[in-house]
Amino acid sequence: MNSRSILLNRIRLACAGADVHELPSQIPDFPCYSDPVAQFCQELEAAGGVFLDGRRSGKLAENLATVIRASDSTEIYWESQELFHRYGIPFSPSKTCHGVGDLLFYSHHPDQEVKFPLLLESRPYGKSELAASSLSVSPARCGIAETGTIVHEIVPGTGRLFSLLPPAQLILLSERDLIMNSTELFEHMLPEQRGSSLTLITGPSRTADVEKTLIIGVHGPKKMFVILLP
Amino acid sequence: MIKSTKINRNVQAALSDKQLQKNLRNTLATSLQMRDVSVAEVPNWDELSQYARDVKLHTLSRLDYYLEMFERKVVAQGGKVIWAETGQDAVDFVVELAQERKIKKLVKSKSMLSEEIHLNATLEQMQIESIETDLGEYIVQLAGETPSHLLAPALHKSKEEIADLFAKELGMEYSGDVDEITATARQVLRKHFLDAPLGVTGVNFGVAETGSVVVVENEGNARLSVSVPKIHIALMGIEKVIPRASDLAVFLKLLIRSATGQKITSYVNCLNGPRRPEELAGPDEFYLVLVDNGRSKILADEFLRQTLACIRCGACQNVCPVYQRIGGHAYESTYQGPIGAILTPQLTSHKAAPEHAFTSSLCGACQEICPVGIEIPHILLKLREQAQNEKNNRASTISVERLGIVLWTRVMCNPRLYVGATRWVRRLWRVFEKNRLLGLVLIPLSRWSKHRAVPHPAPHSFRELYRLSEDS
Repeated sequence: MNSRSILLNRIRLACAGADVHELPSQIPDFPCYSDPVAQFCQELEAAGGVFLDGRRSGKLAENLATVIRASDSTEIYWESQELFHRYGIPFSPSKTCHGVGDLLFYSHHPDQEVKFPLLLESRPYGKSELAASSLSVSPARCGIAETGTIVHEIVPGTGRLFSLLPPAQLILLSERDLIMNSTELFEHMLPEQRGSSLTLITGPSRTADVEKTLIIGVHGPKKMFVILLP
Repeated sequence: MIKSTKINRNVQAALSDKQLQKNLRNTLATSLQMRDVSVAEVPNWDELSQYARDVKLHTLSRLDYYLEMFERKVVAQGGKVIWAETGQDAVDFVVELAQERKIKKLVKSKSMLSEEIHLNATLEQMQIESIETDLGEYIVQLAGETPSHLLAPALHKSKEEIADLFAKELGMEYSGDVDEITATARQVLRKHFLDAPLGVTGVNFGVAETGSVVVVENEGNARLSVSVPKIHIALMGIEKVIPRASDLAVFLKLLIRSATGQKITSYVNCLNGPRRPEELAGPDEFYLVLVDNGRSKILADEFLRQTLACIRCGACQNVCPVYQRIGGHAYESTYQGPIGAILTPQLTSHKAAPEHAFTSSLCGACQEICPVGIEIPHILLKLREQAQNEKNNRASTISVERLGIVLWTRVMCNPRLYVGATRWVRRLWRVFEKNRLLGLVLIPLSRWSKHRAVPHPAPHSFRELYRLSEDS
């Protein structure tokens, strides 16, 4: 007999004869909010994240500029080209591309020119490149109002390192994807997930391992921004 | 009475360690306070708690079914499942895999199970470097110690002690600034993350329905351990499986609020096997090691089985008056405090851990705070009974304690004998006291009298006083 059957037999023997304890079917209530955006914002900021409202037209560029300043970045790494279409972000190729073909200028905002490289599927970022970069942008699968959490999912064409190695991360969240609490996520989204990883992210990385003193920024990103889009 | 052994000696040392007492006082009070505030915000806490308890007890009563379901899902997602009967089997798997792939270094995120099976010790013997990456675990590893709390492994150390350690071990300039200590750890460990080919983590929950391995953390070290290396090994006790993804909503709320008082941790990683071919980064191989190591033995008793419902939040440690005084190391076991007191003798044996079930005053605070309502004091009583029965069966001669109880029963059953006996005890007591011989006479009870003032016998018994009051 192999370990598997030995172990399973042991368990069956241990459970034999005893009653099966009933599995509860109704999940207890989780909170809902009349203003989920306000709740989301409050909890995210309490966890050390920065909330930016980009729902009004023209606000996105301003918000991006804020994030770039606050994270001391010169470039933004975008998780995929799909982001531009998904959130309706206008962009135009840079005239000063240096022939690499992946440098673009964000030129929507009148005073602010934002430079960022664009992920090309033929050239995934290497881990040392990402570790040396300053800011990543990725989309949220959904946001959870109760805890100020965003849910980041790995889908084809993306990888686990992207939003993890740079010291600052920006998440784009559509208001349509804001849910009240985590029950919907775990009841529907996780079972339907096809990628290898789904991460709930709430604020920057933190620790309180030394004398319970809260320190922001340990191994994961030190800064975390969320821009809410329509 | 239990023989004076390790824990007892450790208690003395812990109580007289002023620094430890200060560290314990500061950190545990903060943890408790944060937990209380956070729990008070949830109006239906008890309902959530009952739900979680029912889910756990249900799963445990059909554990084989859920483990098989979980295994099927993990395999369908490209993962491999290893069944380990003992801790040694699990350790052997990790070591053999590392040797086969010529891996010399691995990064490890916090896992109490890995402590339980002494993974690091074996890896070290095999000259495989195992780097603990949780800040608290890293500190403890640098100091050559073991964790002293489920959640805050370095809770017994002050920041000055940690600063000294970093200066000595890492050549960092001495700094009592926690920000700088953390920044140094980030820098040192980041290098290891980027070049270690293997990541090892524990598991908080295994979801049978989806085959997801859930790892809860704040620092991002678990995220890095499961993202950068080419291989991910998850070590999971068989009791960690839960039936449905929807149960996670309840368990995460209970676990996190009880553990740190946060509403949610910075990261909750739900991992579904290795990198898919079309994904750009992530481990190419994923191994799930399901470890028994004594757990199936605990399942057999329907009452004691609830021990396995524990979600390792550490709240019972924070609230325990014994743990608050002696800290974790005094227990000399992986699991400490109230949960350690019930888990240790059951995972091993009463013979191997004879003292654990007795390291409690049975005050009940642990059961009250437990988010899955484990009846720790009642389990302790049952374990004490077991331990005593085992001892009685082992003892070939009648123990002094047993003889004493038999004699006492006789005396108590006979009023005249009782009156006479107590009168003689009072008289003798006074004689011994006068001649300072009491200490000598009480030697059989010295473990009791050592820490307590010996009472003076009352001049008259209750019966005598009653008669006197009637006469007057």
